[in-house]
Amino acid sequence: MRDKTFVPSRMLIYLVVILFAAAYLAPLVVVVLNSLRSNEEIAQGSMIGWPQHLAWGNYAAAWSGFCVAETCAGIRPYMLNSALVTIPATIFSTLLGAIAGYAVSLWRFRGDNWIYGIVTLGLFLPQQMRLLPWTIVLRDTGLINTLTGLVLIHTIQGLSFTTLFCRNYYVAIPHELIRAARIDGAGFFRIFWRIILPLSAPILIVTVIWQFTHIWNEFLYGVTFTTGQQQPVTAALIALSAAIADIPQHGVQSAAVIIAALPTLLIYLLGGRYFVRGLTAGAVK
Amino acid sequence: MTEIVSTATQAGRPAISGVVGRLPEYLMIWVPLLLSAAHLVSFSLWTIWISFSPSTLVPVTGWVGLRNYNAVLASRNWHIAFDNLLLFGSAFVLLSLITGLVLAILLDQRIRGENVLRTIFLYPLAVSFVVTGTVWSWLLNPGIGIQKLVHDLGWTSFRFDWLIDRDMAIWTIVIAAIWQSSGFAMALFLAGLRSVDADIIKAAQIDGAGPVRIYRRVILPTLWPITITVVVVQLQFAISAFDLVRALTNGGPGIATQLPALVVYDLMFQRGQLGRGAAAAVLMLLILLAVLLPYAAWRYVQRRRATHA
Amino acid sequence: MPITTTRRRLLAGSAATLALPAFARAQGAVKPRLTAISQWSAGSDGAAITALGKKFEEKGGVWQHSPVPGFTTEMMNKLRAQIIAGDPPACSQLKGPEIAAWSKIAPTVDLDSIVAAAGYEKVVAPDLAKLHKPEGKWIALPLQIYSTNMLFLSKRAMDKAKADKIPVTWADFNDLAEKMKAGGVTFPIANGGTRADDGQKFEASLAGISPAAYRAAIMNLDTKALEGPEIKAAFAQMRKITNWMDPNVGAQPYATNLKRFVDGDMGMMIMGGWAQGVLRNAGFKFEDFVIAPGPSDNGKPVFLLNADAFIFWQRKEPDLQAGQALMAQLVMDPAIQTMYSQITGSIPVRTDVDLSGEGWSDGQRRTAAALKDAVANNQAVLSLAHNMAQQNGLTAAMIDVFTEYAKNKTITPDQAVTRLAEAVEGSR
Repeated sequence: MRDKTFVPSRMLIYLVVILFAAAYLAPLVVVVLNSLRSNEEIAQGSMIGWPQHLAWGNYAAAWSGFCVAETCAGIRPYMLNSALVTIPATIFSTLLGAIAGYAVSLWRFRGDNWIYGIVTLGLFLPQQMRLLPWTIVLRDTGLINTLTGLVLIHTIQGLSFTTLFCRNYYVAIPHELIRAARIDGAGFFRIFWRIILPLSAPILIVTVIWQFTHIWNEFLYGVTFTTGQQQPVTAALIALSAAIADIPQHGVQSAAVIIAALPTLLIYLLGGRYFVRGLTAGAVK
Repeated sequence: MTEIVSTATQAGRPAISGVVGRLPEYLMIWVPLLLSAAHLVSFSLWTIWISFSPSTLVPVTGWVGLRNYNAVLASRNWHIAFDNLLLFGSAFVLLSLITGLVLAILLDQRIRGENVLRTIFLYPLAVSFVVTGTVWSWLLNPGIGIQKLVHDLGWTSFRFDWLIDRDMAIWTIVIAAIWQSSGFAMALFLAGLRSVDADIIKAAQIDGAGPVRIYRRVILPTLWPITITVVVVQLQFAISAFDLVRALTNGGPGIATQLPALVVYDLMFQRGQLGRGAAAAVLMLLILLAVLLPYAAWRYVQRRRATHA
Repeated sequence: MPITTTRRRLLAGSAATLALPAFARAQGAVKPRLTAISQWSAGSDGAAITALGKKFEEKGGVWQHSPVPGFTTEMMNKLRAQIIAGDPPACSQLKGPEIAAWSKIAPTVDLDSIVAAAGYEKVVAPDLAKLHKPEGKWIALPLQIYSTNMLFLSKRAMDKAKADKIPVTWADFNDLAEKMKAGGVTFPIANGGTRADDGQKFEASLAGISPAAYRAAIMNLDTKALEGPEIKAAFAQMRKITNWMDPNVGAQPYATNLKRFVDGDMGMMIMGGWAQGVLRNAGFKFEDFVIAPGPSDNGKPVFLLNADAFIFWQRKEPDLQAGQALMAQLVMDPAIQTMYSQITGSIPVRTDVDLSGEGWSDGQRRTAAALKDAVANNQAVLSLAHNMAQQNGLTAAMIDVFTEYAKNKTITPDQAVTRLAEAVEGSR
């Protein structure tokens, strides 16, 4: 409980906060405004400006109208593809990360610290280094140009992050709890379902939000390992960017950006509070 | 502490006959972890192997010794990228830490509209890097963005043309990156601030300490572990920030904002020089290890100190 | 994880080509099918390849085009991934010396018989043809040609400068720029700041000063030529050009300057022929600007060639082979080339296409005439900035020098010459 008289000058605080908020909102405002200006208006005018008349048609074009070479179905089919990849990959990587985090922090086994160290080091491996090796793996498993291949990639790569966060959360759970359950004869998974999982809601929300966002917004693998109509929404957005022989379609592009960002924006809008709460609940070391 | 851990381990080791029955269990525990560790190790080894090969468009076998490394280390692109990484890495991590902390402290003051404000500072995390880079390239462009806006409002001598200034362009990346990811730092710090025991603060207040002193002496020291986590996550972001830089400056103006991640991608895929790209990637990994190993060693020492205490 | 032996043999071997079964034989038997990869997902390029696909289907084929969003790198990544997976597309977009480089990593199709039957080789510029037959056999077919050094002049800016003569040499060009500046045109040059644009500025300067020096230095990488006086003069000319540009342009593409160009606030652009289509699509009219060949100091037009092409990868499936034969025929067909170039604003590869009909702009006619002229005078050279003269690695290293030079006004032409030579050495 903070006392109100704790704070020196509330006017100053509000001012600073509002300045920061304006700075953080500016890009969103620019994109939203651009999404309501026609392509010609932006081309003839400037990148930042107030719409002269509201070009709602941009949204229609972005959703179901604009063409990627032969197919003129807008962004809608690509959103579905992104969902088909992001949702399973998020669920798998979160679940497996929780199990792995639990195994490393509470169950313990030989060499667990080593495995944990390697897995978290994986956070730092640059994605460019993984592109070709994944190509070879996908080729040998026959998963190239499939959405399943993308799910596999994102699940395995996501394990680094989910394991890190879950493990840091679970270390706070007292060992006595586990020991008691083990003495009662409970095995690894029973303890997991009965004890660990119910306690995990806060951190699971954090990992789900994080993973969903990262997988949804990912571009490199999405473009390289899928083809044609299977591509994720990030690929469709790039298709809208100007090539050298074309005038930029910034109006429709901005509308498409807003549509494509809606799922992740909504998640942070609705889940932001749980995100912070989830980080509170674990002493994130 | 040690005693409890060892007892738990002993109790956990199953009899041989029980192993087969619990195979699915072991698979679920081991396979994901092993897959993750295996893919990391094998991909790194593969990259190291390629860095010593004459690969150009596709990976091939062969041995060229240190030729690729020499070529990379001799190139202007790499020198500029390396310097930029040090500058950008440290500036970004430090500034996003401070920004996150300041935002968290501000939000902690029980101001009105805290929920809305928290969402405002968090939502940039939801935006993809490419979009961030693109939009900020519009905002920071002196001809169409903030500078022009201020000029139009009357203040015509205002200058904010960092984006096209070779010496300052790297700071535009810092700005965009802080916008994108400081929300995460803020969330972590807010979590930490909120979890400080209220009684301790009350006690300090009763002792007559002013707000600044309370923050400095009581609250901030408890944030130390969180700070470490934020530093690690932001460092990871700084090193792999590839899409953002590509969309914002594409290494320009000229090659002034080159970064190792861009150089690796450029060499491997744009220039069709896989061997050199792999060498650059290995060099990048070495830089990372140079930062992470001391941290890991420090954590190791800490843990041993804790278990021996 | 090394690639398996059989694939390694495939990849490490030289370009193995396989002649296509004669089209007549395949025609009756199988429905032709084509899998294609390109980066042309939007704009006029996207429209053109879609139209080509429709023609393919009209002839009874199954068209399976997979555009890769992004730029050439993403498309090459996709192609590389497919090749490594052992599943290359039946044809893919590729151009310039990359055709020779990529043909070494996977087997291609020998198109000699089809090309001979269509008499194509006679109507293709020899320098261009060479790029598509790296080992002496045709394995790729060029589709459209752009010039990268067209001169675009804003009518209103010309009025401000009280000039009506189109500049022919670089001296004329510099004069006009000065007149424009004096007449109130804020920035006489409307070029952008992308890497390709910076490359274009240099190559237009050098080729205009001496196409022979360009050929020796840039295309053949002759060391003496790279240290010669023409290179220094080209850098000096480039410095003049960058000094006349808007310093705020940064790395923005030229397209952001179009409005000011048309309004007369900016005067001239050295840009490829594709800019005509861009200007038209942006709502600007042809009366607002004039198109002319780029400056050439010896009075005869210099043409910097940029041509897109399709390369054909070996496939065992008979329907894909039939599709490749059909595609090759279409690409060489004058009617198809006409359709394609009219959509994108390029000129056809075939030198025997008549451009006097409707659907062609004056700019295109002038470009085609310039190409004919330039080929006759041996002044048609390959564009470096658009990856026609050298492979991507070397090109990128050289463009590094140009783009740094363009953005950093303190680099002198002498220093730039040294850096260019170093870049070439470092990439050999």
